[in-house]
Amino acid sequence: MRRDWLRWLVVPVVVVPLGWLLFVGLGRDPRDIPSPLVGKALPAIEAITLQGDAWSSTDLAGKPAVINFWASYCIPSCVDEHPFLVKLQARHADHLVLIGVLYQDTPDGARGFLARFGDGGWPTLLDPSGRIAVDLGVTGPPETFFVDDHGIVRARHVGPLNAQSLAAGLASIGIAS
Amino acid sequence: MALPLAAAALLALAGLVAVEALRPSPALTQAAEERQIASELRCPDCQALSVAESRTESAAAIRAEIEQLLAAGASPDAVRRHFVERYGTWILLAPPNPLVWWLPALALLAGGGALVLWLLRGRRAERAAEPPPPVDDRLRSRVREEEAELDA
Repeated sequence: MRRDWLRWLVVPVVVVPLGWLLFVGLGRDPRDIPSPLVGKALPAIEAITLQGDAWSSTDLAGKPAVINFWASYCIPSCVDEHPFLVKLQARHADHLVLIGVLYQDTPDGARGFLARFGDGGWPTLLDPSGRIAVDLGVTGPPETFFVDDHGIVRARHVGPLNAQSLAAGLASIGIAS
Repeated sequence: MALPLAAAALLALAGLVAVEALRPSPALTQAAEERQIASELRCPDCQALSVAESRTESAAAIRAEIEQLLAAGASPDAVRRHFVERYGTWILLAPPNPLVWWLPALALLAGGGALVLWLLRGRRAERAAEPPPPVDDRLRSRVREEEAELDA
């Protein structure tokens, strides 16, 4: 009788937590690392753009923003998402700020990429010291942050954007794609 | 005999771990502190290496930031927090909760305990089992007869 009771105890105490751990652990995307920045204010950014202008995050001035870390060597991911960004800029440039940040790349490499795949006209910030990438906890290109009109980071997407992930990111900052 | 020995060995091991964990570490220079913190942080774009070992630009940027923060008077813990606030606990190569280190030992103890209980219970059950009924002469002769019939 007592042994039966112990056997039934094993199920909730050992099997259920172990099964839950395996279910959660194996079902996770190892690239999907939650960003602690989500829900917090965007760290201050000051940089020079690829075009040679000074840019500061204070320029956002109440506009929502999409900040995309990319590099010319990031192939095919950055190439795959590029048309979505071009379309985003064309459709939402009047009420949204799209900013690129060059990740561990040279300005010449970036210019070559834009000449080949199309320059949508949004600024790309240079980050030669890697400071902007570290401040935003970037793990590698492409990586995209969605910032609302109050300067709060609402979502982070790791990997190339597609129609679905872009729509989800834009929805998090109150923009219908 | 084996059980007390195993218990003594486990106790000695736990003692050694406790002594090592509680031993005060000597004061470090800033350069040594930088190296120490860098060795505890995961390189963001290589993942299998620490920031101290990696030669990527992100690792270099993090090392530079560690140096700046320490030079500005931040404590090593504040520097670690600085990076955890940006990357999450993922950036730490070692789990932040010290309990995690004890989990394998706890699992070993629990497993060992369960095994000992199971063996003891088996032995007790063996002892408690009723002896087989005595075989009388009549039964013995009947078995022999049946054996003989089968052999025939």
